[in-house]
Amino acid sequence: MYQYDLIDKEFLADRSAEFRGQVARRLSGELTEDQFKPLRLMNGLYLQLHAYMLRVAIPYGSLNATQARRLAQIARDYDKGYGHFTTRQNIQFNWIKLKDAPEILDKLADVDLHAIQTSGNCIRNTTSDPYAGATAEEVDDPRVWCEVIRQWSTLHPEFSFLPRKFKIAITASAKDRTAAKVHDIGLLLRQGRDGQLGFEVIVGGGQGRTPYVGPTIKEFLPTDRLLSYLEAILRVYNRHGRRDNIYKARIKILVAALGAEEFARQVEEEWSKIDAVRADLPPAELARIRAAFAKTPFEALPARSEAFETAKAHDPAFARFVRNNVRAHKQPGYAIVEISLKAQEQTPGDASADQLDVVADLAERYGFNDLRVTHAQNLVLPHIKLDDLPTVFAALQAANLATPNIDLVSDIIACPGLDYCALANARAIPIAQDIARQFADLDRAEQVGELKIKISGCINACGHHHVAHIGILGVDKKGEEFYQLSLGGSGAEDASIGKILGPALPADKVATAVDQLVGAYLAVRSDGERFLDTYRRVGLEPFKEAVYAQAD
Amino acid sequence: MPKLIELVENEARWAEDAFVFVADEDAIPETGDVILTLARFEAEGDALLASNSRRVGVRIEPDQEVEGLAYDLPRLAVVALAFPKYRDGRAYTSARLLRERFGYQGQVRAVGDVLREQAGFMVRCGFDAFEPADGATPEAWSQAAQRFRHVYQRAADARAVAFEERAS
Amino acid sequence: MKAITANRLIDGEVVFWTSGQWVDRFGDAQLFDDHHAADVEAAVATGKGQPTVVVDVYPIDLVQSDGRWAPLSYRERIRALGPTNEPTHGKQAEGGDVIEALRHAAGSARSTGRVDLIRRK
Repeated sequence: MYQYDLIDKEFLADRSAEFRGQVARRLSGELTEDQFKPLRLMNGLYLQLHAYMLRVAIPYGSLNATQARRLAQIARDYDKGYGHFTTRQNIQFNWIKLKDAPEILDKLADVDLHAIQTSGNCIRNTTSDPYAGATAEEVDDPRVWCEVIRQWSTLHPEFSFLPRKFKIAITASAKDRTAAKVHDIGLLLRQGRDGQLGFEVIVGGGQGRTPYVGPTIKEFLPTDRLLSYLEAILRVYNRHGRRDNIYKARIKILVAALGAEEFARQVEEEWSKIDAVRADLPPAELARIRAAFAKTPFEALPARSEAFETAKAHDPAFARFVRNNVRAHKQPGYAIVEISLKAQEQTPGDASADQLDVVADLAERYGFNDLRVTHAQNLVLPHIKLDDLPTVFAALQAANLATPNIDLVSDIIACPGLDYCALANARAIPIAQDIARQFADLDRAEQVGELKIKISGCINACGHHHVAHIGILGVDKKGEEFYQLSLGGSGAEDASIGKILGPALPADKVATAVDQLVGAYLAVRSDGERFLDTYRRVGLEPFKEAVYAQAD
Repeated sequence: MPKLIELVENEARWAEDAFVFVADEDAIPETGDVILTLARFEAEGDALLASNSRRVGVRIEPDQEVEGLAYDLPRLAVVALAFPKYRDGRAYTSARLLRERFGYQGQVRAVGDVLREQAGFMVRCGFDAFEPADGATPEAWSQAAQRFRHVYQRAADARAVAFEERAS
Repeated sequence: MKAITANRLIDGEVVFWTSGQWVDRFGDAQLFDDHHAADVEAAVATGKGQPTVVVDVYPIDLVQSDGRWAPLSYRERIRALGPTNEPTHGKQAEGGDVIEALRHAAGSARSTGRVDLIRRK
């Protein structure tokens, strides 16, 4: 993994010192709240319902054991012993005091972590494939490009006051685990016919009030031209994106207003005027970054592990875990292990400090010191030997981290909602817990198969409800929480925006409604069809009927 | 009248502002250096410049494109770029284009909601004069502008970026 | 009835106004009769004049529930209690009568919800 050098470390130290000074000026009254707010936001510090919330970036969704332990320590020392993993490869601490924030940033910087640009109208942490470097599907290591963008975008002098926030995702696999098509920019690494690597560039996807699956504006951008092309996109957006209405300020609105073709033309025109020699990354720096993500030193192992096969044959719980949480690795004898943060009664995405310590130990001992976070609010140990899997499973089980439900009905994405968030209209967490309870029977959950439920507590859609197989949006009706269901969304390679099922439901009817939707699906599904496939085949009506028809 | 900070050889210092900004509704003073709005400049700039008796600058609002000034740039002493709000980042692009694309050598001045927190960004984009709205002194401005020992990307300034430092 | 709330600058804690002081517990908040709107305005103005003490000062509507006053909106109840998914976090951890009453407060316009819309023939 990329190691920060002295330059990166001094940069973080300077940033931390700057923020310490700004906090001091705020506390003394030299800065007003209006002046201070954008400064604290640029450092990931929000004021939420009960306290300040600090959002820490996890670049390329990758942590080493030291970093994971530091997050655990911060959770213990400055929070209430837990952290919350978000849908964008960040971790949030919910109970932070303003006076402690500079000290926390120092402690993060000690282990090469930071909160830079985790909020504000700037280029945010780039989303990456959590299986990077482990999956056989990828044509290149997307983390290399995430690091290129991290450096390029960090305190970018021209693009730190954009019309609105800006999110980039990079995937190098056909199977998209980054929701690239609903990012401001989605970069899909592709291999050209001549073997050359390039990006398919998607611009103007997004969720929120006006969800869009982004259009492709360039089929093949040679990878060495990435930064100049990003500069062109950002410059067109910085100049022409709307600034008069916060809800129309994202790049998706500009792309939709101009049309993808005209937007692409403007980008090409700007791109042609940029001095590529100055704007693109020199090959030597790219090589340096690439070397930092050099191949993991895997052992040459047989594809079949007796220890693994024996455990699978004798322990049904392990077999179930393997079926649902273990994915194929590119290296024979290894596996990718997903750790669900969606145990029964758990808050989706929350990990306690003790749990973080457990996964840090496992990553260090069995997993090449590598731990990943996913946009589905789970963790991944990307390189575990099949021989070690039974041991790792037992350790996860002991820490309540072995819930075998990845991509199943109870693996629900939920934003913090009205329990924490100052923007929310309704709670999301209790709804997720209700649904998980409804589907506690693991046999049944497996029988239902892949079903992605995502819950947002407001229209800003941090819970990705637009791109859920079953999306749930919390709305406020006269001070009461209601929930609008939508079907048929997907954030993956087959991206689509869900369609609203019908009138919003009160909180206590949501889990039942999901059960009814699942019932309708099971009644008509063909062999091998996922919920999403069935919905796409039969449409909304049978589902509508199932939820809204009178029972008599 | 706000005080002006000028950047001379990376040193921020107080400067006497010889220029008067002439709003659209105001009369152009008989003598002295002036900064005009773009509309005013388009209407009366040629005549003023032809008199050769004073220096002329133009104030560009964020929704006005500096490309429109390309022809006149060699004759302009100042291009003032307006920040109606501190969060409006369009002037950063304008400044970079002036310096990097059009090779503008005159003063690029930040006016409007100009706070020391932006100093580093502004200097990197090619601004060399500032009318701070937060009472920042040249010392405070310098300190803010030089806060970071390293920068990660090329811009309009001459600073060595991280990858150049690494290669050296 | 109204109360006045804010978040404390230094730690973000939810606080309530009581006769010129900011207190942590909703149970200690000063209650303002609706016909004392001027008092509410004056207190809010005083609070807004303390930018190094509190941020986001605003009045909240209260509703009577089982003989006690509770914030009308869910949002304000959650602010006065803490997150519902973690009953031991936030102000609610302290327990007591007021906390229990807030937890079970009813009174905001409860609807039965709009299900059963399609009538099967």
